Parts: sequence; C-alpha cells; structure tokens
Amino acid sequence: MTNHLLFENIDEPGLASIEVYKRRGGYQMAEQALAMARDSIITSLKDSGLRGRGGAGFPTGLKASFIPQGKMDKYLVCNADESEPGTFKDRELMQKNPHSLIEGMIIAAYAVGANKAFIFIRGEYVQQAEILEKAIEEAKAAGYIGSNILGRGVELDMWVHRGAGAYICGEETGLLDALEGRRGNPRLKPPFPANQGLYQGPTLINNVETLTAITYILKVGADAYKAMGVEKSSGTKLISVSGNVRRPGNYEIEMGMTGRDIIYGLAGGIEEDREVLLWFPGGSSSPVLTKDDLDLPYDYDSLAGAKTMLGSGAIIVADDSNSVVDIAVKTASFYKHESCGKCTPCREGTSWTTKMLKRIQSGEATPMDLDVISSVCEQIMGNCLCVLGDAMAMPVASMVTKFRPHFEAHIEQARVANEARLLAELSAQGNVLQGIAAD
Amino acid sequence: MPRPEIEQITFTVDGRTVEAPAGTMLADAAKLGDVDIPVFCYEPKLGAPVGACRMCLVEVEGIPKLQTACSTPVRDGMVVDTQSDRVKGAQESVVEFLLLNHPLDCPVCDKGGECPLQDISFGWGRGETRFQEPKRHFQKPVELSPLVAIDRERCILCYRCVRFSQEVSEDYQLVLHERGADTFVGTFDGHPYVAPFSGNIIELCPVGALTSQAYRFRARPWDIEQSGSVCTMCPGQCNVSYTVRDDRVVRVLNRENDAVDDGWLCDRGRFAYQSTYVDERVSGPLVREGGELVPASWDRALATAAGILDAADGRVGALAGGTSSNEDGWLLRRLMTEVVGSRDFDSRPAGVLSAGLQAALDAPEAQATVTDLEWADAVLVLDTEPVDDMPVLDLRLRKGVRRHGVRLAVATSRPSALDPNAELSVRFAPGAGEAFACALDAAIGGVGDVGGLARAAGAEPEAVEALGRMLREAGKDVVIVWGERLTHAADPARAANAARALLKASGRLGLLDGHQGSGLLQVPTGGNGRGLRELGVLPNVGPGYSEPAKIGRSSREIAAAAAAGEIDALHLLHVDPVASFPDRARWSSALANATGVIAHASFLTEGVLQHADVVFPSEAGAEKEGTVTHPDGRLQRLRPAVGKPEGTLPTWQVLSHLITALGGRATALTSMMVTTELAEAVPFYAGITHDEIGGFGVRWQEREASAAFPAGDTGPFSLDAPLAAASPNGALRLGSFKSVWSSPEVAHAPALKFLAPKQRAELNPDDAAERGIRHGQRVLVKADGTTVGATAHLRTASPRGSVFLETGLGDQSATALQNPEPTVPSMVTVESA
Repeated sequence: MTNHLLFENIDEPGLASIEVYKRRGGYQMAEQALAMARDSIITSLKDSGLRGRGGAGFPTGLKASFIPQGKMDKYLVCNADESEPGTFKDRELMQKNPHSLIEGMIIAAYAVGANKAFIFIRGEYVQQAEILEKAIEEAKAAGYIGSNILGRGVELDMWVHRGAGAYICGEETGLLDALEGRRGNPRLKPPFPANQGLYQGPTLINNVETLTAITYILKVGADAYKAMGVEKSSGTKLISVSGNVRRPGNYEIEMGMTGRDIIYGLAGGIEEDREVLLWFPGGSSSPVLTKDDLDLPYDYDSLAGAKTMLGSGAIIVADDSNSVVDIAVKTASFYKHESCGKCTPCREGTSWTTKMLKRIQSGEATPMDLDVISSVCEQIMGNCLCVLGDAMAMPVASMVTKFRPHFEAHIEQARVANEARLLAELSAQGNVLQGIAAD
Repeated sequence: MPRPEIEQITFTVDGRTVEAPAGTMLADAAKLGDVDIPVFCYEPKLGAPVGACRMCLVEVEGIPKLQTACSTPVRDGMVVDTQSDRVKGAQESVVEFLLLNHPLDCPVCDKGGECPLQDISFGWGRGETRFQEPKRHFQKPVELSPLVAIDRERCILCYRCVRFSQEVSEDYQLVLHERGADTFVGTFDGHPYVAPFSGNIIELCPVGALTSQAYRFRARPWDIEQSGSVCTMCPGQCNVSYTVRDDRVVRVLNRENDAVDDGWLCDRGRFAYQSTYVDERVSGPLVREGGELVPASWDRALATAAGILDAADGRVGALAGGTSSNEDGWLLRRLMTEVVGSRDFDSRPAGVLSAGLQAALDAPEAQATVTDLEWADAVLVLDTEPVDDMPVLDLRLRKGVRRHGVRLAVATSRPSALDPNAELSVRFAPGAGEAFACALDAAIGGVGDVGGLARAAGAEPEAVEALGRMLREAGKDVVIVWGERLTHAADPARAANAARALLKASGRLGLLDGHQGSGLLQVPTGGNGRGLRELGVLPNVGPGYSEPAKIGRSSREIAAAAAAGEIDALHLLHVDPVASFPDRARWSSALANATGVIAHASFLTEGVLQHADVVFPSEAGAEKEGTVTHPDGRLQRLRPAVGKPEGTLPTWQVLSHLITALGGRATALTSMMVTTELAEAVPFYAGITHDEIGGFGVRWQEREASAAFPAGDTGPFSLDAPLAAASPNGALRLGSFKSVWSSPEVAHAPALKFLAPKQRAELNPDDAAERGIRHGQRVLVKADGTTVGATAHLRTASPRGSVFLETGLGDQSATALQNPEPTVPSMVTVESA
C-alpha cells in the first residue's frame, strides 16, 4: 500500500551515524551525482515531477534551473524552520536520518553550482541541530563536504544556523534576512532568491523533505519516482497527522491516498469514535475541510480543486467536541502574534480579525461581525508582501464560510446567556432601587 | 560605474497613453500621465522600494495579483488600471487598516493640513470605519531626541525613518522593536537618536508621528508660507525652504535639488534658524564708547567706520568670512582696492596659492560635480572630513558606495566617519598633506621614492602604494574630493607644492582632461569659499583668477603686520579670526594692536567683543539676498524669506555706504545690481542674472562664458623634498578639526545648544597607555606654556604620535596651541589632569 522512500530505514538504530547510513547505501548517490553532468541532474528532477514540500509546491527542477550559470558565490539554503503549526515531519527526518538530507544537499548544490550551503533550523530544534552538526562533521571527515569533494574538484561548505523563534523566518526571504543577521522580515519579490538571495547572490532554497527526496529520486530513478503517486503530484509525501486521532504521527504516503484512508486508516480514526468536525489538510494555514471532504485524494491538484492546499502536509483533525469558534480564535491569534508587521494588510488585518473573533468568543458580537471578518480576510488575501497574511485569512475565511451556523449559534447562545445574567443582576439591583424610591 | 542610459517607452495608465523613461517605477511614471497613485512607504531617496504599506496596489494587465506600483518598473506596452473595483477595494482597505490604530487627533496634530495620511484618507479612503475594538496605545509623545518627538500611536509603520537611519545616514540607530501590530520605532536601547542628519526623519514621516521639537505647536499649515533659499553655513549650500509665520522663520525644510543636496539637510542647517531670534544676536549697529560696545545710530556707526578707514590711510587689512555672499565679498574688494587703497585682504584662513595654480585647480576641465561622486569608479577623500566640513556630501558618498558600488578611499590624518565604507583608509601626520600628496603622486605614477615620501608624511608606505594602485586601476572616472586644508601650509612654497603634487597625481589619473564624470572637488573652508576666490577676494588674485597688478598680504601676513603695527585698521566681514583662524595668539595681538576694527557680525564672538570699534549687524541666513557659488561652480541664489530687524541695513548696503562715504563711486542701488557688476568683472560669470540662476542654480562651467576661463599655470614643480612630518619623539603632533556642531549658530540656537562641542583630545590608545591616560578622563594638552584642558577620547583608528583637538572653542581651542612659526610643526604634550 504505501511505498516507503524517505522513511525506508527511519527507525533503524544508529541511522544518524555515517557508518550505518553508508551501510544502507548512503552517499552512493552523491558519488554518482558528482560524476554526472550538472544539467542531467536538474533534468532528472524535472522528470521526476518533484514539487516543493515546504508548502508552495513549486516544481523543484524548474526552481533549480533558475539559478544562473557562471562562476560566483552561489548558495544553497535548506529551510528547516518547520514552524507551520501541525508540521513535524522534518524534525523526525533530521533527527533520525540527517545524512540523507546532507546527501541531498550535496547533490542539489552540485547541480546548481552552489559552493556554500546553510541549514536554517528553527531555534527550538536544539537536539536536531546538534545531530546535524555532528553529521556534517562526519561528512566532512569522510570527504563528502570540503574544498575538493571526492577528489573531483567540487567545493562545498555547509553550516547549521539556528533561528531565534519567529514563524516568519520560515518564509524564504525572511529566512535569508535572518540568516544575514537582520530582523527576519520578508523581502519584496522580485528579485527572487534565485537571482538575488543570500548576500545578494544566487540562492536555491528548499525544504528539508524536498532536498532529502532528491537523494531517493536518484536512487530509484526519475521515472520510478514519477510512477509513484498521481499525475502532477508524483512520489511520496511525508505527512504529520495530529489532533483528535488515535495514532498521531508522521507517515510516508504515496500521493493520491484519500483523506479517509489517512485519518481512519493510518491514524486509526477519531478518539471515542466521534465525528470529524473539520480538518486542516496542509497545516494551519490551509482552508479547512469538513467530514464531507474525507474522500478527496491527498495530492496537490485535488486539494487545490477543493479550494484548499496540500501545504506542508500537516493534517490537523478536530472532532465535534471542539468549537469552531475556539479553533478560529486560536488560528488567528497565532498568525497575529507571528505577523512581522512590515506590510499593512497583514499587520493590521490579523490583529483586527483576532480582536473580532475574540469578541465573538466572549459573546459580544452580532452576526454582522462575521461579514466584516469575511470582508477583512478577503482584503488580506493576495494583497500582502508575503503569504503570512493569507495564511491567517484563508483558514479563518473558510471556517466563517463553512461553519457560519456554528458561529451564529455561538453568538446567539452567548447573547441569551448574557441577557439572562444582566436580567438577574438587574433584578438583584431592583430591591435597592425600590428602597431608594421608598425614601 | 557609468550613468545608465535610459530610453523612453510608452505605456497605458487608466486609458491614457504615457511616455516614460524605461525602468521608472509605476508610481512615478503614472504621474507623467497625471495619474496619482497614493504611496506611504515609497520614497525613492531611500533607495530600493520595499512595498510595505501596500497603498499603491494597481492592476497590471496579464498579472493576476494586484501589483505595488512603487516596485513595478514600467515596460513598453504595459497596461495599468488604477481605477478598477479591485484596486479601489484594496486602496480603501489599506486606508481602513492604517486608520484602525491611528488616533483621530488631527485637530491638535502638527501634521494636520500637510499630512499625506490625511490627504490619502480623503482621496482614497472609504470615509468610515468598521472597527469597534480598542486602539493600540503608547505613551505619547516621547522624546526620540532633544530635536525630535515621537508619537507612536500616530505611526503607520512605513519605516521610512528606520530605512533612513539604516541605509542613508548609516548611523544604524533607529530600529523596529517587537513584531506585528505591536511593532514600534525606537533606538536599540532607548538612548536618544542623536546623529548629524537625524532631523531628516521629521520630513520623511508621512504622518504626525515624528515632529520637530523646535516647531511643535508653533504654527498650523494655514498660518505659514514657504520661501526658498540656500543655506550658507557650509560649502554644501543645501537648498532650503524656510517656513515663515508672521515674518519669522519657524522651520527649515529641504528643497530637493539633486545636483546639490539630494534632498537632505544636516541638523545644523535644519535647526540653526533659531539663532536668528535670540537676544544675543546683534540687531543694530554698535560702536565702542568708553571701552564698551554701545548701540549707535546708523549714521554714527557709518561715520565712525569711514573715519577709521580714512585715518588708516591705506594701512587697512580686510578679511571676508566664508558665509559672505558674492555681493558682500565683491563690495569689500571694491572698498579696499578702489577707495581705501589697500591690497591686503583675504578670504582664506591660511595658505596662499598663485592665481595660475588656483585656475589650474578650478579649471572647468578638472571640475567634478556632486553627482559625479555617485557614479564614479572610485572616489578619494583627501584631507577633509565631509561630515564636518560639508555634511551633505557625506550622505552622497555613502549613497555612491551603497547603491552604485563606488570604490571609496579615504586619506586623512584624523579617522573619518567614512572609514567603514572605504575600501582603503590611509592616515598621515597632521599637517603633512604636502608630503602625502607627493607620495600619492609617486604611488600613482609608479615613479619616485614612494616609501621615503610616505614615511616623510608619517604614512605607511604599503598603504600609499595600495591607494595608488587602487586609483590607477579603478577605471576612467575617478573623483578626488580634497580639503582646502591641504594647501594651508604657512610657507607659500609648501602650499603651492602640495597643490602641484595634487594636480600632477590628478593628471596621471586623467582627471584634468575634461571628460565628464571625473575630476577634482575642493571643499573650501568657508561656505562660499569658491565664490570669494573667483571674485578675487584674495591678496594675490584678481577677479576671475586674473593676475593682479599688485600683490597684497595674506591673512597670516595681515595678522603679523597688524601685530607689528604695520596695519592700523582691520575690517572683518562676517569673520572673527581670533575665534576661528589658526594662530589664535597672533590674531589676538593683531586685533589688540589695531587702532580701528570694523566688524560685520551676528554674534559678539570674543575677538569682536573685545576689539571691534564698530559692529554692523550681519543678516541671518533667511534675511540674506544675493548669490553664492557652490564648490562645483554652481551659482545659487539667496532670497530673503523674512525682513531684517527693524532699521537694519543689509551688508551690501553698508559696504556701499562706506564706499561713497570715502568718496568712491556709488554703483549699486539694489543687491541685484551688485550681482550684475560682479558678473561683468568675472569673465566666466559674464551676463549671469538672478533669473538665470533661478531656483536650482546654474553651473558657470555649463555656460558659454566659461570659455573665458583663464589658462592655469601650475608654475615649476619644486625640486625640494616636501617638508617631512615631525617625529613625535615623546611629544605628539597636534592636529585640529572643526566639528559640524562648532559654530555660533549652534551655540545660540536653543534646540541645538546641547550639541555645542566640548574640547576633547582624540588619541591612539597606545599613546594614551604610555601616558597612563584612560578613555573619558580629563587631560591637559600643553605647548610653549599654553595649556588646554580636554577629555581624553581614545580611538583605535587614530594614528600613533598625534593628538587631535577641536577648534572654535575660544582659548580652549586647538588654535591656542598652534605654533606661529611657519616652518615648525605644532607639537604638544598630553598628560593627565
């Protein structure tokens, strides 16, 4: 049923060490790649149909082909900031199989001619950063990283850089600013990182899973990889399933598996056999789906067809014991807190939306506020400097649209409760008032 | 880097076909078709657009998402819509978003009435809000610095001010704190934002968040008028616009002139207007009576002054200060040559160069312009500190390096603020400019004893070699920005030799062959130094660098002659040599010995207060009419923005009265007539009028009359070895500097007073360690029985064996310690107090 690539030997003890990794055939692809023409690697990537696993799903081979030719400092940056709520696949990959990432980076760096590589890892991943640093040292000692890799005259140096805990540093240009030592704010695009990225040099930025997948694409061949999954969403995908499921965790699936097979199959169904209220298919920034959407195939295009996205592959399941209002508040609050503040719609829009949702939550709203939320979200979407604003607006707008009766019921209940409380208070004061009148 | 060539393209905006230079951002290009696209964060002066405020979203055909017009360059055939429903929706919501947390305090806000946020809210906003939540609150207003108040509630976080601090002035003080809707502007650790150019953020702010402490609540926009002129406090001659209320200047704004100032002002230029309205200002004529200066009638003051000049019988010395306009300088010259009969006048504090040499240095072929600094392949800053001597130039040099990759080299004695931007910084001993220029020439030419010359200059031979190599290999466009100080040597032969070496080195780099984009740019000591020397307000130069019939005494010789009793009367035009010229002691005795001293002054500085017999009030900047000449040859016009204090005469009129009182010919009834007169006298100014100069000035090099510029004559190159810098040998060489804050205007403007410098002794930490001196402690600097107290300021970039003191601090100035003998360098000892 599932065909494991990235997670093939993931639970093998000691896989994080170079000995075990090499025993499992590690670094053979790097050696093979260095003997290939650079173009043919990029062609393989294009043929494999691999799309970026960080969230945007941009074709990896095409992105690599944007890096200009010529001799200059070029950079490869691995985005290991993994800060999208619900996402924890890269963490396991880096912790258990760091060399597969390093090998993928060596291949990618060679393919685009990058001589400096950085792994920007989120600050909280202390253990993983240490594992990666150790693995890089091992790879250096084994001659896979250095000024003359395997005697082929290929140069590559690699560093691990720990972030300081901002979601926005997972946005590629914000990441570059943070890596350069500035405040992590997204940059205006164009220029795109492929032309002017890190230190104004050509830069290829990819997610951990994407870079790791490169190793396995070379291993099984572009055609075999392409044969996995479905049209336009080839290969396997690591997914992180969390929320009200019996077996939360990371799974490697072939693209095209249905949501039902994932949630009820791999993840063991819902606790206490409750019903699914809603589920985020691709991290907390994806528009939510309902139980009616469970049979959607899990791939880029099917999800896009359902007006949501595959994103980082983080499936968050909320069952019907939850209130959609609370989920909306939680989601909006996160993005409000993480907005960098550079552009107006995101800075003000996320803050305003959160304030309105909290007012709904505390029962001080009217259904008209839901219209204002929808309109604010609509004006955030597509009008921001980066996608953080959309990341709040999309799920919140989808919740307000799909669960409007829930919101209205909450508002009505709260109104009734507030009214009852006020009446009780008033009647308690009534005695006092009568007493005054009697004077 | 050569300036890019730009072709015109055609595009369509809101159905109008518009021609625009290719690559122009849509926000600017649309204006050419009279389409206004609202912006907040976009300000081309700040560099590349950031697309942060999202106010300028427009629809571009073929692109699905709305695009920010500030960052979208126009292309041929582009079709742009700024009026569609989508665009309107986005504009309305950005305005709504920005107003969510913006207080509705326009009626009490300084910006109200001239506020882009107000205008854009009216023009592009929805006119109502749907926001019912509480607004964001901050403590307000708070002091960002003694000059700037910040109201964080009004801030719309366009972060123009932060970008200015980070990317234009590069003082790196302003930052954004916190994140998202909690973001606010401040300095890193809350210290006041004090920097030479800090006031620019007030003008950059598109809302009332950053306001001038000096202007706050002084006027509303409907009370005021703007009046354009030029600031003459330094050679930068920035174009300014005075804000006038009830015939008083209440504010100074920049009046953008790309060729001069790029739209920036230094804080001195921005706030010094306050000194116009202080009690200390001389507001009417004074004469000395019983040892005291007392107010007198104009008739009496003019008669007294005429009497002094008459009685001296030609034994008169005159000095023209740097802020003198061309008209003032010209009339002083006429007074001296035609009526008084003296050739002893000067406009330079020290040093003499022949007419031929001056002409060679100022020749149109050798002239670099301010904009050349931005596009040159390499720029050498030689013996000048731009941020002190010509502040706005500092920003231009930073811009060139940052945006166009100009290779910058700095060669100075004292560490420069530009060192961090420079590819190469070379230090030489203070006063050893001549030897350094010779070493540089040798290094560029690859001839002569570079090592020996460099050592004579107290510089490292390898560094000089590297500098020579860098300039030689940089490309064809090289600009040398050099300070007049290089030619201040007391010995005229030495001064000339320094100039010749500079010319020789420039010739080797092709700076003198007249190709555009390269050349020399001299930073004179006085604000209008160039104008005064072109008019011949020099002892040995006639108008237009002609050879005069008779050569008179230079300022240094005037001092000596007056001290020795050979000159009876001194006429000081906007200058106090005791306070600001080298060799303070000699000037003190010169003024004391003179039987009559006439001064034109705004403030009673020490020399004027103690020795002047007649004081005429000088006009303040905003009261002045006339012309000045920028260091790159641009004639600029001063227009009076406000009237003079009641009963006051302008300086040109005072000088005219003196000329006629002494039997001279009356020629000028207006300031403009003086301009006409001097334009006739200087061949290459021929025919220039106020109208032609206009609002942005005109470079005489670009007029036909420039053909009349005389041929330069550098004279024979001296075969003498240049004067070697003194070996410290236990003592320290004395270097001096005049900080941007050292001027009477700063000392008297209430807002700027806190910046008035206190004496500090800058020295290398190793020299300090040898003397047991710690940073910040009091030290005594001594020479020949004179002692100056200072605070020790240790700088690792300061060269060993030298100490630097500030000038302009009365008897605590560096000038108090300078050696009067022309051939002996000034040496001092430094010890703990």
